[in-house]
Order: sequence, then C-alpha cells, then structure tokens
Amino acid sequence: MKRRKKISIGKLLCGFIMMLLALCMLVPLLNILARSLSQPDLVHGLKGYDILPKGFSTVNYQVILGQPIVIRSILNSLFITVTGVCLNIILTSSAAYVLTRPGLVGKKVFMYFFIIMMIFEPGIVQEYFLMKNIHLLDNLFSMVIYRSVNVYYLIILMRFMEEVPASIQEAARIDGAGHFDVLFKIMIPLSRIPLITVGMFYAVFRWNEFFKSSIFLTSKNHTVLQVLLRQFVVNSDSQVIVGAANILANNNIAQLDNGSLKAATIVVAVVPILLLYPVILKYYTNGVMSGGVKE
Amino acid sequence: MAKRKAGGAQSKLKRIWRDRVLYLTLLPTLLYFFVFHVIPIIGMKLAFYDYRIKGDNVFVGFTYFIKLFSTPVFLQILENTLIISAMKIFLFFPMPIIFAIMLNEFKAGPFRKSVQVISYLPHFLSWVVIAGIWFEFLSPSTGILNSVLSNLGFGKVNLLTSKGSIRWVLLASESWRSIGWDSIVYLTAIMGIDPTLYEAAKIDGANRFQIVGNIVLPALAVTMVTVLILNIGFFMNAGLDQVLNFTNAAVNSKIDIIDTYVYRIGLQNSQYSLATAANLFKGVIGTLLIVSTHLFSKKLTGKGAW
Repeated sequence: MKRRKKISIGKLLCGFIMMLLALCMLVPLLNILARSLSQPDLVHGLKGYDILPKGFSTVNYQVILGQPIVIRSILNSLFITVTGVCLNIILTSSAAYVLTRPGLVGKKVFMYFFIIMMIFEPGIVQEYFLMKNIHLLDNLFSMVIYRSVNVYYLIILMRFMEEVPASIQEAARIDGAGHFDVLFKIMIPLSRIPLITVGMFYAVFRWNEFFKSSIFLTSKNHTVLQVLLRQFVVNSDSQVIVGAANILANNNIAQLDNGSLKAATIVVAVVPILLLYPVILKYYTNGVMSGGVKE
Repeated sequence: MAKRKAGGAQSKLKRIWRDRVLYLTLLPTLLYFFVFHVIPIIGMKLAFYDYRIKGDNVFVGFTYFIKLFSTPVFLQILENTLIISAMKIFLFFPMPIIFAIMLNEFKAGPFRKSVQVISYLPHFLSWVVIAGIWFEFLSPSTGILNSVLSNLGFGKVNLLTSKGSIRWVLLASESWRSIGWDSIVYLTAIMGIDPTLYEAAKIDGANRFQIVGNIVLPALAVTMVTVLILNIGFFMNAGLDQVLNFTNAAVNSKIDIIDTYVYRIGLQNSQYSLATAANLFKGVIGTLLIVSTHLFSKKLTGKGAW
C-alpha cells in the first residue's frame, strides 16, 4: 500500500445504505422464520424486527405438515415442477439443436413463428376453454404442459449451441454418428452449464406459479402449494390449513397464532427455492443468462 | 454449403429430405405451440362474436369493443394500468443503476458478495410469498414499519388498505424484489470499463463523483437506454401476479388492471366476449409496443429484446 488507507465519508455512507437495503430484504425473511419457530405462548412478544424466535417450538410445522391437504399440495407442486422441468429441458434443448443446424431449410420461418408465440400471449378465457375441451381441466398435466417451451430460454440455448465448433460435430458425423448421438454425446455435455441454468429458471418458475394453477386445477385434491398458501396467507382463509374440524372444536390447534402458522407455511414454500438458489448463483455468475440479450 | 444454397428448389427438397430427422425432432415443440398457443389465439376471434352455449356464435363486429370503451370501469382500469406501469418503469428505473454504482464502490470481498447474494434472493420468491412477507412487514400490529413509526411518536398506518398508498406499496414491493437482480446488467457493464480510464482520471485528480459522472454513467448509457426502451414494450403488463396478491376490497378500484379485469369478468362473471375483447385489445397494443420498442432499441443501441 503506497497511499495511506483512508475511508472517505462517502464510502461509509455508501456502505451504510447498502447494508440498510440488504437488511430490508433479510430481516423480514428471518422474522418470518423466527415467527414460525417461536413458542405459541411467547410469540405475541415477537416484534417485526426480531430475527430470533421467542422460545423454540416446532408445533407450527407439526400442525401444517399434519394436514393431508398441505402434504398433498406439496406433492402436487413437486410433481408438476419435476415432470414439467424434464419436459422443458427435452423440448427446449432438442428445438435449440435443430434450429442451430447449418443449412436447415425454413429456420427463419420457424424463428419468426417462435418469436410471435413469445410476444403474443393467448387469451386466458381461451386457454381455459382449451384445457376444458381436451379434458385436461383439473388434471395435473395441464400445468405440466403449460409453458413447455420458453422461447427466450430457447434463444439463449441456441446462442450457446452456435458456439460449439462445427468441426467437432462434422467429425462425429463423418464417424457415422447420427443426430441423436451428436445431440446427446456432444451438444448437451458441452452446453450443460446453460442447460442447468435454464433448467433452474424453469424450476423456479414452475414452483412459484400460482395464477394458472388456480384456474386449471379446480379441485382440492389437485391444488398446488402456492394456491393453498394464497388462500391461507393472502385471503386469510385459515380453514384450509387449520382444518374446519379443529376450528369447530376450538381446540389447541385452532388457538395457535395464525400469523405463526402462516409464517411456517411461507417457510415451507421458500425452502425449495433456497435449495436451488446457490446453484443458480453459481451458474449465473458464469454469465449464462446475461449472454442471452447480447447480439 | 454456399454452393448448395444457390441451388434451386430441387436441392432444397433434397436438403429437407436429408434433414427429415431434424424436422421430426422439432415436431413436438411445433405441435405444443400450435395446440396451446395458436388455437387459443385463433379462438380470440370470440371478441367479435356473441357467445352461444348451443349453436354457432353470432358475429357482432366491434360491438364488444365499443361496449368496453363506453364502460367507465374499463377506462378506470386502463388508467390504473398505465399509471402503475409508468410508476414501475420510470420511478424504479434509476434505482438499480444507483445500486450498481454504489456496489461498485466496494472491491470484491465478503461485504460486496453478501449484499449481492441477499439482494438477488427476492427475485426468486413467488408473489404469494412476497405478499405474505409484506403483509407482515406493513402489519399495523406487529410490522416493522409501525414499530419504527410508533417509536418515533407517529400514529399507526395501514398502507395496504389505503387508496392513497396502495400503488406506492406496489412500487415499493416491486423495487424490493427487483433492485438487486436488475442491477446485474449494469454491474456487468461497469465491470467492462477499461481500468486505465480510472487510472487516468485519478492522475488528473478527479474525485469519485467526477469519475462516476464522466466515466461510469457514460459507460452505462447504452444499457440504460436499452433497458428503458424494452421495459416500455411491456407497458400493458402492470403485474398481474402482484396485484392479485396485494389487492383487497378497500383499494381494488385503484389497482384493478386489464389482466385482473379480464380474469374477473371472463372467468368469474362468464362474460366471455367482453373479456376476450379486453384481452385482445391488450394483446394487440402490447405486441405493437414490444415490436416497435425492439426495432427502435436495435436501431439505436444494437441490442433488441431477443
């Protein structure tokens, strides 16, 4: 260090504002966690900025995870997310492979078609009728098929596949490899980083989706976690989680703090995201998605 | 390849036959778009028809569009959509830029890394979860905001049920969710600045503000223009998921947008034609906006929406 180390007031102010912003994002999340883990008789003392639980109890989690409907909706959400992401990856990567083959007749037409599909969204009334007409209404597969291909992610994958040197592929083709060999043995392994990243974004989208699920999945058995969470947290319909029988009996469960039960349900809905988040950050920092907008 | 390209229809057919496996591979994706996009889009012609449960729908021309624009409710909704979008686009616009510039004042290290990791996280939470967190945050009884306000000697406020504040809650929660994530594109542009420029400025005796004003901001200009133009393309989307979760009876008239209107009159009140007319209106204007902003941005900065 040649110059003397000096922390200017400006930098201090910058650091303070950054820290304040980060706290604004972190404290409400930790507060939810603290609320969900607090002891029911002490939770009323929990202030909005407290990040440690008052006492410790897992009773809120025991209650919500003891409700069959909650377990059911978690399983439904997981099913839609896992099956849906597989479908996403299969369709998006195969389409990206086809559209990056040199000399493909009609590539331009296909691209225009996909971009129009990206810009012009179908009407919601028509989507509902379509699902009804093909008998997918109130069927989990309606949400698996919904948004099978995101054109934006397709374009991102295409940009990466275009980068794979043609010579490698040509060599493989000369050695007698078919398109599927090239796709599975060369293209997919070589573009696994953008593929994983796109897969993560698909997964987050599918896990978080609630609007179309609330329209297409009409019966209670087929409800997904986000829709249940919405009924409970946003519409304050405590019956969906506490259970009508408990409310009628006005037993211990019904007397639990609703805010704590809501907090526990939110935590359950956020945990899968938190599990994916480190992976997303790791791959995103490689500049995968930001490369998509570049020409 | 170039020689073949020059060939006539004969060689084109040959190439199509050669690539038959490729077309077959693309077929499921095309089929998906045809069934789940093209068919419902064609179905939107319902906006020009009277819906009949039995028999054929009756063509009524622009009747439903005229009805739509003579309904005071729809005009209010159009106004809400435009105001909320404008707030989210223009008032939010400088925030990620300032955030990126301030973050750049810190060298890569634990502090910067933690701020980044924390500030990107809300982008991945669903609006249901964000609403749950914000209800808690703004709660008159236990929320942070009111705890702070009462410590400062102010009375309690409920911003979620006040007509005057609900749009600002939408802006604030959107900013909370996006400020970190949207700053990435600016941070990337700042990282691309040639370090020798900073050195030269330091030798010339420039202070931090002069460096930001003369080096950093000009380097961000292209990104800023691109982001702004492309966001204007999405003016008709004021945030369906967000509004659905933040709305309540007290404030709905202030934040009811086209998408929530279509959902309500279409699927809840079964006014299919009227809902489709509103949806088609939004779709057409939205498409025109996206295409024109894309072309404009491409011409101006070389970067488009896709």
